[in-house]
Amino acid sequence: MNENLHERAHQLLAESLVEGLRPAYESWLREHLAACPSCSQEAVATQNVLQALRAVPVSVPRDLAARTQLRLRLRAQESSPAATGSFWLWTVTAASWLLGVFSAPLVWRGFAWLGANFGVPKLALEFGFVLWWTVPPLLAAGIILHQKALTAEWSNKN
Amino acid sequence: MSAPAFTLTAAPQPLLFAAFMTDDTQALATGLRQRDPDLLDRLIEQYQQRLYRYLLFLTGNPALAEDLFQETWIRVLERGSQYNGKSKFESWLFAIARNLVIDASRRKKISSLEELGDPESNTPYDPPDERTASILQMLVSRENEQTVQLSLLKIPAYYREVLLLRFSEELGLEEIAGVMATPVSTVKSRLYRGLAALKTAMTEGAE
Repeated sequence: MNENLHERAHQLLAESLVEGLRPAYESWLREHLAACPSCSQEAVATQNVLQALRAVPVSVPRDLAARTQLRLRLRAQESSPAATGSFWLWTVTAASWLLGVFSAPLVWRGFAWLGANFGVPKLALEFGFVLWWTVPPLLAAGIILHQKALTAEWSNKN
Repeated sequence: MSAPAFTLTAAPQPLLFAAFMTDDTQALATGLRQRDPDLLDRLIEQYQQRLYRYLLFLTGNPALAEDLFQETWIRVLERGSQYNGKSKFESWLFAIARNLVIDASRRKKISSLEELGDPESNTPYDPPDERTASILQMLVSRENEQTVQLSLLKIPAYYREVLLLRFSEELGLEEIAGVMATPVSTVKSRLYRGLAALKTAMTEGAE
């Protein structure tokens, strides 16, 4: 048999595996393989190689999936919306507290001015000043507790 | 003359089932966008074997393959919104894994990871070192297909990769091109050369 025919059969064999063959080429190859023991043997060997390639087993470390799942959940918690939100809340609260400390003398003067001009009792002024200091932290604490509840809910869900 | 034992096997045709997977991949994309933890758990379980094998055969290093396996899933978590559901999930997953392997190879020399880029620019058939081969041999089954496994270790990583993606993962040519970010023509060329390289390696191994 012509050597070129064997060469062509080998090329078509590879092509059938990589890209698939057009019907005309496929029937030519079938006929050639039926008539040529060496090419047929080559085809069987190739097919065996590919079957073995498909079947190459690899042992995955036993707990790799579980470790990955745990790591993913931890990462997801770190970057959850609630966790991100609480960072900003703490930052704003700290800034607010610093502003409160530095503005306290001015606020006290403001309350004194109110007392002097409108005759507000001193007890009421002192109570107002205490409220000025306590209401913002109480609000912040409320928001933080709410955020923590959201985080806990999110963690339970995950 | 007796009929040949060989039967022509058509190349995998992913387009045949592409229509059926659209709904699934869209649901998957939605779940990934929402960072659904149960979905991620299921995906890790489902793809652990295939992803680990891919990473192991690319790096030749079990410890590194484990690290990259975890990093790949972290990327999936963090970049889940980038998966649009138009392609198969595994193509996207392998592309992420491949990029991490390339990053890792840039950070430090990986002994069995020959250049994954352009094979024509390197000397082909440069076998991995014996240490890597022995590690891989320990991890693969010794019962069957040992010759193929050993031969796989002898061929360059860029051929090993396309052969695995095509014939083991059964990805289509365009999907492989997507994973490797190369033209389909390059994928085809590497497949032809890879098949030839594998056969040569097997013949040499048998002698």
